[in-house]
Amino acid sequence: MNQFHSVFPYIFFILTCFYQLCGQATEEKFLNADLLSLLTKLAVDDDEIKANTITSLAKSGDPKLEKFFELYRQGSVYNWPDENGDVRIVVNMETEMDDDFNEFAPLFEPLSGKPFIIEGKQAKPDLLDLEDISPGRKLRSLVNSSKFLIRLFSPDYETRISGVKKCGDPPFMAEAMSSLEDISNDAEENEKIRWTASESMALIELGQKSEDFAGLNSKLLALEKLGKLKSLRALARIDGFEKEIESLEASEKISSKQSGTLYKSISKIKKSLEGHKSSVELAGNLFRGVSYGSVLILIALGLAITFGLMGVINMAHGELVMVGAYATYEVQMLFGHSPENSVNEYYFFALPVAFLASATVGLLMEKFVVRHLYNRPLESLLATWGVSLLLIQLVRLRYGDNIGVNAPTWARGGFEISQDVILPFARLYLLALSAACVGFIYFIIRKTRKGMLIRATMQNRDMASSLGVRTRNVDRFTFALGSGIAGVAGYGWTIVGGVTPDMGTKLFIVDSFLVVVAGGVGELAGVLCSGLGIGVITKLIEPLELGGFTIGPVWGKVILLALIVAFIQYKPAGLFAPKGRLGDK
Amino acid sequence: MKINKLKLAMAATLGLALAIPQLHAVKIGVLHSLSGTMAISETSLRDVVMMAVEEINESGGVLGEQVEAVVVDPASDWPLFAEKAKQLITEDKVAVTFGCWTSVSRKSCLPVFEENNALLFYPVQYEGEEQSLNVFYTAASPNQQLVPAAEYMAKEMGCKKFYLLGTDYVFPRTANKVLKAYLKSEGVPDENVMEEYTPFHHQDYQTIVAKVKEFAASGDACILSTINGDSNVPFYKEFANQGLTSDDCPIMAFSVSEDELRAMDVPPLVGHLAAWNYFQSVKTPGNAAFVKSFKKFCVKAGLPGGAKRVTCDPIEAAYFGVYVWKAAVEKCGSFDVDKVRKAVYGLEFDAPGGKKSMHPTNQHTLKPVYVGEILKNGMFKIVYSSDGLVSPDSYSSYLWPDGNYPKPTGGPNGDGSL
Repeated sequence: MNQFHSVFPYIFFILTCFYQLCGQATEEKFLNADLLSLLTKLAVDDDEIKANTITSLAKSGDPKLEKFFELYRQGSVYNWPDENGDVRIVVNMETEMDDDFNEFAPLFEPLSGKPFIIEGKQAKPDLLDLEDISPGRKLRSLVNSSKFLIRLFSPDYETRISGVKKCGDPPFMAEAMSSLEDISNDAEENEKIRWTASESMALIELGQKSEDFAGLNSKLLALEKLGKLKSLRALARIDGFEKEIESLEASEKISSKQSGTLYKSISKIKKSLEGHKSSVELAGNLFRGVSYGSVLILIALGLAITFGLMGVINMAHGELVMVGAYATYEVQMLFGHSPENSVNEYYFFALPVAFLASATVGLLMEKFVVRHLYNRPLESLLATWGVSLLLIQLVRLRYGDNIGVNAPTWARGGFEISQDVILPFARLYLLALSAACVGFIYFIIRKTRKGMLIRATMQNRDMASSLGVRTRNVDRFTFALGSGIAGVAGYGWTIVGGVTPDMGTKLFIVDSFLVVVAGGVGELAGVLCSGLGIGVITKLIEPLELGGFTIGPVWGKVILLALIVAFIQYKPAGLFAPKGRLGDK
Repeated sequence: MKINKLKLAMAATLGLALAIPQLHAVKIGVLHSLSGTMAISETSLRDVVMMAVEEINESGGVLGEQVEAVVVDPASDWPLFAEKAKQLITEDKVAVTFGCWTSVSRKSCLPVFEENNALLFYPVQYEGEEQSLNVFYTAASPNQQLVPAAEYMAKEMGCKKFYLLGTDYVFPRTANKVLKAYLKSEGVPDENVMEEYTPFHHQDYQTIVAKVKEFAASGDACILSTINGDSNVPFYKEFANQGLTSDDCPIMAFSVSEDELRAMDVPPLVGHLAAWNYFQSVKTPGNAAFVKSFKKFCVKAGLPGGAKRVTCDPIEAAYFGVYVWKAAVEKCGSFDVDKVRKAVYGLEFDAPGGKKSMHPTNQHTLKPVYVGEILKNGMFKIVYSSDGLVSPDSYSSYLWPDGNYPKPTGGPNGDGSL
């Protein structure tokens, strides 16, 4: 027995090699010329021929066809008959226009994607000369599913795994079975793709219709396989399976005893899958809470300095965040980062620029407005609010209302920490950024001489001043520091959110004050705890269901605010109240 | 300094334009928010109305009179819409008003228009359930956008499960009522339809996207999204960040047009859908010229965005609204509201997006329906178009199955009669 086990993989390996060789052989059979002649059949005005052509194209497994299917589905593939009226299959995506508004269509080759050259130049016939051969309504779903079949052979990981996954979704492509099997047995293939391939195979088996007990039994086997794989996609299929058993029992094709045993095994699998699902959900909710909390901390951190430490009710805090976001946009423009041409380095350069931009604005604000109002909180509230309106309008005049910051490409997608728990890169980056900012502020305030002076000035201005501290300089530095950190928050925000001139007032100012006040004014640790606390509580409340009613974001916010009001009643000075003489002020 | 010069120049040309025709000028009102939340969408409509006015004046005006646009800014403040409308009608004595975007702003100034028997052209798709004789609705009613889009998802994309996601206000709530009634009539069981709302400016879509992911695990689900305004950006970003694509769960959006796409990071959105009655990519000669002159106008007027500006459904509807009014005035030979109203009924006209016509009785517009797929360049590839024009329902037959629709309101006698 043991010996057999050790030999088995080798046999398997040889078999797969053989399979692969066969696969290559069939691939080679389809030369470009053959494919092209097959393509011409798409121009035939007969749905059945078209359908057959689509299927055989998909089965050819030629990766060159992958792009073609996408274009064909979108309706970018045309027939451009030559002088003899023979079919020429061409691709056109966008048209060009001359001054008389005649539209010309630059053409591309269907397989290579290169420009379609005639007489040494790219062909650009009048749009009206092209015959539309896009699939009709009946054929479109076939094209759609064939599109995924062809992706199984793609050299690109993302494309291949999406194909592997979609083959297991309705309408369950049984044609894909053999290719999926090859993939799942391919020792050189990526683990995740192999896993998904076996999942999709079992899902396809589970998706077939069955007429009798034997059929149901083989479906149960597939479901058991899925149970072992802990497949969450299987969970969505269980209801349908149970209904099928029910209807077969009703039509007396199986006995109630048989259905009983089936139900029993199904409910066991369902239970284990649901267990997996709820642990995934819990882990996900916790992460989302921490990540939301990190965003809150990042946004509130600057205010914790300007309001918390210095006592300025800074209503323009949100606008300082906005300035950071627009600085990021400017840097993106400078580097020429765009969807077509990604220059990801811009994002790292944008960090110091955003900090400096907001710090400069903060410095100017301090010099011209805030400095005159240090002991008059109500006036400083009004004055900074005025500054915020000014900043919004200035930015609106310069940029208008609609601009887009394109996130760096690495921020898309995520990291699968355990099965089905995906941590998006963008969120992880924000988490790290927020931790770094907290560390940075902590270091400056607690570990440097400058920080000591800040603390001294904020605790007792007159005493510090009489001991020779230049309190004016300290004020200026502290306000600029807080503003700069706000700018960093704006910079971080661009990878998860949008950028508009009034984003500060609409999105940030209330949340920031909430975090700072609930945490205890003047305490860094308070901001940390209240930010994380608010984040996690929100994300745990939101998905709760009470007797069919989901709390959701609207009521989640209401409950959270009620909780905070109650909390402030109980602890008016926030989580970390200043103690001793400082607390008496 | 540069801005100052520009502004001076603009003011000078405006002054000139206003000064010359002062003797023979008909005033029209432009009631769009130029500041506040809705400025992001509404300023474009002001721009295109100004463009239409300029074109009309260059070609000799209406009935030999130059058109003078009176622009007011209701600042996304709903009660202010009513006040500004009153000012336009009673003080400026405008012949007609073009304006409003959100339904709540329209509802706010509707009594003013009805009370004074004035005329409003409303250019944005809305939830229906309204028919005032003092409003002409040049954009889609629910059966011209919502229902065909849901039908496309169910029948062509093969979707069996529907996640209705919207911002919490009147348009998404009514729209989802219509959608749910439609899906029910198509035999979609209740457990396959999910409905969820988020507050205005909601930014953290982590939980909702996680839920969508679970909902879409079966592989045959889609989202019908009525999310409005700036929440769209974080929603689509989060959707892509959690590893979902349009293959896993396509999003059909009812409030995302070319203009909104300018503010978004487009690559993660490629392949998602939107349903409208017009796209910039619609192929007609009239549209090509329209797009070009809109861009030229934006450059000339020094508007932010300049040549990068795009046209979209509400922009087209706002633009042809002015021409519909002009055609009606010329047809009846008068600026009188009651005569103009009668002339509008059944009017056929050439819009940038092709031939359209006004409904003979119910104040709405007959339009084609398109479904477009988002392309990498922020434009839409049209993947579905209706056969010809779709007739508008002011009241949805899905919400009034017995056909006893409420009577129209307003009009010359104030009771919905003509």
